[in-house]
Amino acid sequence: MMLSRVFSNARRGAFVALAATILLSAVAGAQRLLVPMDDAQQNHLKAYGLTYNAIKAGASAEWLLNYRGGSFLLADTPELRRQAGLAGITIEPMDNGKVSQLRAEIAGANMEAVPLEKAPKIAVYTPPDALPWDDAVTIALKYAGIDYTPIYDEEVEKGDLSKYDWLHLHHEDFTGQLNKFYLSYRDAPWFIDLLQKNTALAKKLGFANMPGLKKDVAEKIREFVERGGFLFAMCGATETLELAIAGHNVDIAQSFIDGTPMDPDADRKMDWKRTFAFQDVHLEQSPFVNSMSDIDGHQVNVAGRRQPLGTFTLFNFSAKFDPVPSMLVQDHRGVINDFFGVTTSFNKSVLKPGVTVLANEEGAPWVKYIHGDYGKGTWTYYGGHDPEDPQHAIGNPPTDLSLFKNSPGYRLILNNVLFPAAKKKPLKT
Amino acid sequence: MLGIRIRSAWLIGAIGLCVARVAPAVAQAPADTMSFYRALDLEASGKYKDAVPLFREALHTSAAVNALLGLERVYAELGWSDSLVAPVEALIAANPREETYRTVQLRTLEALGRDADVRHAVDVWVHDIPGSVSPYREYARILLQKNRATAADSVLAKAKEVLGTTKDLQLEVAQARAAQGDWVESAKAWRQALLTADYLEQAAAYALAPTPSSSRAQVREVFLALPVEVPSRRALADLEATWGSSADGWNALKDLPPDSASAEAWSEFAQRAEAEDRWTIAREALESALRYKHTSDIAIRAGTAAMNGGDPAAALRLAPLSDAHGDSALIAKSYLPLHARALAALGRPSEAERLVAAYDRFLTPAAHNNLTRTIAWGWVRTGDMTRARAALSATGAEGDSSDAAGWLALYEGNLKSARGLLRGGTESSPELALALALVARIKADSAPEIGKAFLALAKGDSVGAASQFVGAAAKQPTARSLLLSTAAQIDASGGRDVEAVVLWQRILAGEKDSPEAPQAELEWARLLRRKKDLAGASSHLEHMILTYPQSALVPQARRELELVKSSIPPVL
Repeated sequence: MMLSRVFSNARRGAFVALAATILLSAVAGAQRLLVPMDDAQQNHLKAYGLTYNAIKAGASAEWLLNYRGGSFLLADTPELRRQAGLAGITIEPMDNGKVSQLRAEIAGANMEAVPLEKAPKIAVYTPPDALPWDDAVTIALKYAGIDYTPIYDEEVEKGDLSKYDWLHLHHEDFTGQLNKFYLSYRDAPWFIDLLQKNTALAKKLGFANMPGLKKDVAEKIREFVERGGFLFAMCGATETLELAIAGHNVDIAQSFIDGTPMDPDADRKMDWKRTFAFQDVHLEQSPFVNSMSDIDGHQVNVAGRRQPLGTFTLFNFSAKFDPVPSMLVQDHRGVINDFFGVTTSFNKSVLKPGVTVLANEEGAPWVKYIHGDYGKGTWTYYGGHDPEDPQHAIGNPPTDLSLFKNSPGYRLILNNVLFPAAKKKPLKT
Repeated sequence: MLGIRIRSAWLIGAIGLCVARVAPAVAQAPADTMSFYRALDLEASGKYKDAVPLFREALHTSAAVNALLGLERVYAELGWSDSLVAPVEALIAANPREETYRTVQLRTLEALGRDADVRHAVDVWVHDIPGSVSPYREYARILLQKNRATAADSVLAKAKEVLGTTKDLQLEVAQARAAQGDWVESAKAWRQALLTADYLEQAAAYALAPTPSSSRAQVREVFLALPVEVPSRRALADLEATWGSSADGWNALKDLPPDSASAEAWSEFAQRAEAEDRWTIAREALESALRYKHTSDIAIRAGTAAMNGGDPAAALRLAPLSDAHGDSALIAKSYLPLHARALAALGRPSEAERLVAAYDRFLTPAAHNNLTRTIAWGWVRTGDMTRARAALSATGAEGDSSDAAGWLALYEGNLKSARGLLRGGTESSPELALALALVARIKADSAPEIGKAFLALAKGDSVGAASQFVGAAAKQPTARSLLLSTAAQIDASGGRDVEAVVLWQRILAGEKDSPEAPQAELEWARLLRRKKDLAGASSHLEHMILTYPQSALVPQARRELELVKSSIPPVL
């Protein structure tokens, strides 16, 4: 299906030529390129872009789970060698003999070779005037050379989500309260501008206020996953999306944003049956506390509750029986430095049964990285804002990934981009 | 850890306060304070438990305030701060107007984590001393120390409501606003605070340093607004330096009224600019200082800044010999080196020679030789190599082995001598690096065409130099690519892009295996990127990376390629 779409698109003529070249060369040479993802790799992040674009061009690709840090095996073509050379990606040509040895090793260990067939069509939910540098995912996609389409409320309301396979959310506040920044930044020009634009957009789309619009957008995102979409969210979007979905019939916004106080009985009225990851959450009732609920373990913006950063540890899964979580945790490091975000982590006490924990902080009451199925789709939440800017504050300079090209924290983001490309959705144990 | 640091900080503050208060009392040392001094001795020798009863005894004497501070310290050391609560309450009951008691009470309760009691103590203080700003100030400070900026803001708002103003709380307002990211309001408060406490300049700059770039223009406006006040302008200059813009720092200071405070600010600012080799700004600041306060020292510094900034004529004007009022020793020591350099740079070495001769008897041999080398350099600038050689010979053996001698040899095309002298020299500059690279690549001992090219460069004739290097390339096959690359670099830095591109093309076509080929392609790509030809730049960068994968310049080329493709944030 993916290839037919590509071929039918006349604007991508050059791309078709590239695809043809890759396919022909692959057949003719019967050679493979191993893209190692252990410490031998000079540029882990670009390696994902190389693989994604190879799949997009129709080349065969496999993800070698747990083999040398989650390596990729690609068709050996001049174009891929060229791209690797340009980006400084380490590749190791392999003849058929070596490939056979590799497959034998994989067969006998907790490893698996997962074919990657379909490059997912990627949408990133972000305001139209936003630069890519304040969202770790767009930073990673830009750096890796993976194309994406920015979409926002207007496109979601129009039903455009159905055009995409994979959707990313970052620091959007789906409760429509602009992350409660009103408390500290109400007089800041950027905040006034943000408030005006969002309020105007809500009115334009026929909603009484921002919370009304955002709840509807959250609902459409829920439906997107239910229908088979892949959702990846980070930072505050994880928490507020869940609150907006569960609070679809409850006033959970403070009066500074919609003119009416939050429903004092909101906790009881929340509908957690509809959410992806959390249940029985307590909402923060005070308009003066910069926190949404007790989902986040770190509460970075509440001085008295703020918890220090530690490290988080990735879980090991059975590559043969649990390939999806295995794909999501492929990394050359098992322990990674934690990083703050509007929502940094997820308290274990509010996780729904059946949620797969991908990474936690040893001994802490929270987890960092979680995943689950919902309807025909899947969702993944990764707490924090930017893996290489642990104390990120508004106005900080953007992260330049050419200085962090081996970032293990960013690799987790890119795992999420690639895993929908897997040939079939494998069964969980 | 942070809590420990804060505690140490206020303990140091408390000790300082105690010493300041004790100092005048020591001379009198009335009998009833003997227990206090014995307690101090015991504390100083680390016998905290023994000091406790003596400090407590002294609470009933005229040294009660100092004794309470002492007791606070030793209890903190012993971890017994809760024992201080009752005595301090008794002292407050006896003397409710003593602010130190109240402050110690708040600190103690805060250290014990009794937040509700802190709030209650503040309420009682406000009730007992209505109209006093102190309870609000102390409470706001405690909250700010605990990073509770929003709560501190509420306290300050309450103070404004009750007192009608926060003019005596500007420091706390400034800190609260900065902690909340309200940079413009913080800047306004800092400006007010600096009116009565100019020693807070650095504190203001430190607090506002994290201001995001999007708010900096507004912060500048606050500090630059009329009327002009020296402390706020100095704070802004410090802030600009922190933000990495000395030029903007000078904008903050340049329109100060000419008085002694401004002259001091200008001179201090220039000192920083001098240390950073920002000579144009240093010169402007020193010229401003000179207009108010004309001293030899400032004049020489201004002249040196002008000279280092490439304006030798201004150097002579800013530091005229007449400033020395005929003090020959001062002229010889301070003025001559500057004047000789300026005259040599202006191509007036004979004047420099006469000047040095006039004050020769005041010069040490080493100073004399230095000046002679400077003069020799002046002759080089005029192209008179004979007189340059003669001047250098006059300095004896040392002159013959100097950097200047190495350069002279190079200008004369004597590569054999130049090779030895330049390698052993003490100078370090891009020109020297280029000269060393060339003499290492060329096997011949003599190459007059290379000498002419370097001489043209030394005379500031970049067009002639580039042309000479191209000419030399034809005669020096082993260094052809380096000579062409050098000529291209000179052309590019002089804005002659077309000529530079022709040379880069020549290198890539005829010298594609030379080390200069990847460099030529990288420079070409950079030029195209500057001209917004992103496709052209991208094409050259890709070609360079793929053709010369082993080149040390590949990481630079990859970064350029990222910028061309907007894969990474733009460099601001």
